Amino acid sequence: MSVAAYGRLRSKKRRDFTTNLITFAVVVLLAALVLFPIWWIFRTSLMTNAEIYKYPPSLLPQNWLFSNYEKTLEVFKFWKYLWNTMIIIVPSCLAGTFTATLCGYAFARLRFRGKSLIWVLCIGSMLLPTMVTLIPLYIGWTRGLGLQDSYLPLILPYFCGGGAFNIFLIRQFILSIPRELDQAATIDGAGYFRILFGIIIPAIKSAMIVVALFIFIGLWNDLLQQMIYINSSDKYTIALGLTNFRGQLKSDWSLTMAATCLSFAPGVIFYLIGQRYFVEGITLTGLKN
Amino acid sequence: MESVNKPPGRRSRFYSSEARVAYICLIPAFLGLIFLTYLPLVGVLGISLTNWTGLKSPEFVGFDNYVQLFTADPYLMDSILATIYFAVLSVVGSMIYSLFIAMLLNRKIPARGFFRAVFYVPYVLPAVAIYVGWSWLYEANFGFFNFLLSEAGLRKVLFIADSSYVVPSLSLISVWLAGNLIVIFLAGLQNVPSVYHEAAEMDGANGWNRFRHITVPCMTPIIFYNLLMSLIANLQVVTPALSLTNGGPGNSSRFMTYLMYDQAFVNYKLGYASATTFIIFAILAVFTAVLFKTSHRWIFNEGGDDK
Amino acid sequence: MNKGKKIGAGLLSAALVLSVLGCGSNDNEGTNPASSPASSGAEATPAPETSSSKTEKVKITYSMWGSAEEGKTVQATADKFNASQDRIEVEVVAIPWESYMTKLNTQATGGQLPDTGMLKEDGVIQWSTEGMLNDVSSMYEGSDSKPLDSLAYKYQGKTVAYAAANEILLLYYNKDMFDKAGVPYPPSALDQAWTWDEFVATAKKLTIDKNGKHPGEDGFDPEGIVQFGASVENLPWQLETWALSNGGGYYSADGTEVRIGEDASIEAIQKVADLYLKDHVAPLSVGQTDDGIQRTIIAGTVAMATNGQWNVGTSLNVAKEEGLNYGVAVLPYMKDKVTLSTGGANVVFSQTKHPEEAMEWLKWYNSEENNWGLISSGIWMPTLEKWYTDEALTRKWVENPNFPPYDEYKSAVVDYARSTAAKPAAWFYTNNTTEFNTLLGSILGDVWTGKTTAKDAISKNLEALKAANKGS
Repeated sequence: MSVAAYGRLRSKKRRDFTTNLITFAVVVLLAALVLFPIWWIFRTSLMTNAEIYKYPPSLLPQNWLFSNYEKTLEVFKFWKYLWNTMIIIVPSCLAGTFTATLCGYAFARLRFRGKSLIWVLCIGSMLLPTMVTLIPLYIGWTRGLGLQDSYLPLILPYFCGGGAFNIFLIRQFILSIPRELDQAATIDGAGYFRILFGIIIPAIKSAMIVVALFIFIGLWNDLLQQMIYINSSDKYTIALGLTNFRGQLKSDWSLTMAATCLSFAPGVIFYLIGQRYFVEGITLTGLKN
Repeated sequence: MESVNKPPGRRSRFYSSEARVAYICLIPAFLGLIFLTYLPLVGVLGISLTNWTGLKSPEFVGFDNYVQLFTADPYLMDSILATIYFAVLSVVGSMIYSLFIAMLLNRKIPARGFFRAVFYVPYVLPAVAIYVGWSWLYEANFGFFNFLLSEAGLRKVLFIADSSYVVPSLSLISVWLAGNLIVIFLAGLQNVPSVYHEAAEMDGANGWNRFRHITVPCMTPIIFYNLLMSLIANLQVVTPALSLTNGGPGNSSRFMTYLMYDQAFVNYKLGYASATTFIIFAILAVFTAVLFKTSHRWIFNEGGDDK
Repeated sequence: MNKGKKIGAGLLSAALVLSVLGCGSNDNEGTNPASSPASSGAEATPAPETSSSKTEKVKITYSMWGSAEEGKTVQATADKFNASQDRIEVEVVAIPWESYMTKLNTQATGGQLPDTGMLKEDGVIQWSTEGMLNDVSSMYEGSDSKPLDSLAYKYQGKTVAYAAANEILLLYYNKDMFDKAGVPYPPSALDQAWTWDEFVATAKKLTIDKNGKHPGEDGFDPEGIVQFGASVENLPWQLETWALSNGGGYYSADGTEVRIGEDASIEAIQKVADLYLKDHVAPLSVGQTDDGIQRTIIAGTVAMATNGQWNVGTSLNVAKEEGLNYGVAVLPYMKDKVTLSTGGANVVFSQTKHPEEAMEWLKWYNSEENNWGLISSGIWMPTLEKWYTDEALTRKWVENPNFPPYDEYKSAVVDYARSTAAKPAAWFYTNNTTEFNTLLGSILGDVWTGKTTAKDAISKNLEALKAANKGS
């Protein structure tokens, strides 16, 4: 390498380093800003009620009252609500992922009459807000099928493909898998289902995990449906428990915020554990458009 | 749509085993589409043509509900405007924000995984709690932000108590929550073939030009995807209105889905609410259709369907 | 693709026709008897029945709003009722407050209503117009005491519900803040009530900015207020107090005409807004949260606040134990002395199969001895007249550590509630108050921040308000 070229390379490296340094500083600053509201909720959970209303507001609690969490757990049945929420989420994730895969496979690989019609209907349903069908579905589940105070209206829909959105995802994913693999298996005498289970599914594992993640988050946050279908407090989910908690304690904010922080935990933990898969999956998902 | 490679020797026949397998696989989808989507949709349309209040039997009233909504309802027009305003702000805001963060995180900085988690985390938090938490920061008299403003000698901003500021304030929260967009953009950025960048650098292109002419075009499919997801989600906004503002002040945060909820579950006017629902649906459909139709012009596809 | 779409459209229209036909028959199906224990988290173990009950007990359900804990407390009370006689067994279902009416409405749609239960104030008349509530005027025939007149919900001359409790609006104040400023307390006796101007003047003495200045003094900085003198709740239903006090009001006496467009009503509302805008004695009243008193009196940031008397039991009792020194007083007045009385209703649903039993349960439950927890805590006030007229009973009610001093509370609350100043809130006799109040709330949104005046806001929307009252 010539001296001049070496010099250019070094100055480029130095420029890169400076840019990276500045970037890092900006990222740290932004991350702090993003975390601030979460910190605010956390610090509120550690204060007494009187302290919360003080003006000017303070950034740090005077005493770090972790005892608030103890008090909260006495009144807020966190573990029970978590269990209930899981009862809903786990079957839904499993059923939704599985049926989404089945349907996605059909759309991606198989040829059959009416394919385009059904596909259009499927995409169309993606654009339907849940609010739109709320009332008729409620009437159908409770009066038509008699399912009062039950988790079934929340879980059963996921047996129907887990939502058009997830079918779409899986389909895109499968489309990206080379057909040669299919063909090789066919030559070996494998039927369509064998191909599905033996080749396709292992190849799209991360997509399936992403679908499970989307279903998880959708259910986690879906307060309105839970409110309508679940009556008894024994069956409350975390979201319902939180809402009811506020009314119960007549605005005891410190405990309410503590309950809120507790309910952050599962989502965050879920994300941290599955982080690798999600990123991998979302990566490939987002690209296949 | 039917652009698949034909495996050698197979022809499509109606009752081929391939079709049978497909129909079996699609049973869940059939059930779902019929009973969970289209039938209820039609049901809503049907209910919207009645004056059902849930407490007595419905009577058919034709298009009365729609007529009333468009001529005499005091909320509908404001509601549509507020929702569109919110959606545009939130979508544009989250796109710029997440693209920017993704670009920052794409560089070689330490602890990238950690920071990626930090920006993503708001997305997995329960929305209700978040809005309530932010309301403390936004409080008009004693809130933290106003405290900072008054310490700095500036006028207090009434945030969610002021009809001009409430939508931007809520949009800010929505942008903050959009962590999932960042991860997707990040993935997209990493997929831009680095050969393009290297080639451009050797030709003397600087960072901004590279961004405009390489990064953005390569990312258009992803931008489209994020845009679509964000638009659909934000047009259906309801949680801040439900848990925080109750549509106020005035009608400035009376979003369409909240309006429909109010009509159906607070005033029990199911027929009327169904008509509102249908209007929401129509607006959503229009936006989405426009997005899809214009997408062909600006998406740079490296192959494959984008439908 | 095109053919697919056409087929799709055809299917849709066919299904549309079918579903409209189907809708018509939905509502009139035979309803399950509401007493089937379809939904109960608060299912208590059945009270030990008296061993020799040969005839089966009639089972009725009673729904209430509250947490599961509160439900259990009420069920315990119900069990006493169940044990005291062998004809009726009551099961209590607790539903969270926020979703209470939603849930009840969906139950009504599904024919799954309980036999009896609470109903939110603003739903009573509407449910009556739909024929969902039974006439309960016979409930107190022959009893030694009836509920106060202001507590009967009336529809077409019939009493369709009695309030489960009595609640009125008061003026609370922080005694320490008054002492510090050397200002005399607000009056607890009705005949010494302050005029609005006296109220504002006192509030000014208690409003301080960063530099210790009061409104009206040179150099007073409205942006830098650290302590406010007064706060008046501006929820639409509470605002009616001031409209009435100024000689106006929302509705005519029978609830069919809308009077909010009158100058007196508008002026009253503007005066409330001016507390923040012109007088600078009040913080901006923001959003609807339950903690009005916590944010003001308890926090020590506002010296006086109007709010419901229930705060004695919901937050002030705890604060009192923690050292808060507070007092209760009668509201100020503009032209006439007015406070609003209200109370959630206990109703008998017309879907019930056991109206007599339901009424008997309600009457038993409503009699104060059986409801003592909420009353002694200060959240609810008794409904029966004798508690207000018989001193022995009043002392029994008020003399307890949860309450402010007896004389103060008796004068400012007990006597106040029984006086002519206590007017029933509009939903006791007017329909569509929810829609009216929601509309009013949205109309007045910009009035509080000063972007528009009450006069402009209300005049422009008067027709819409009238339509809302009619049920548009």
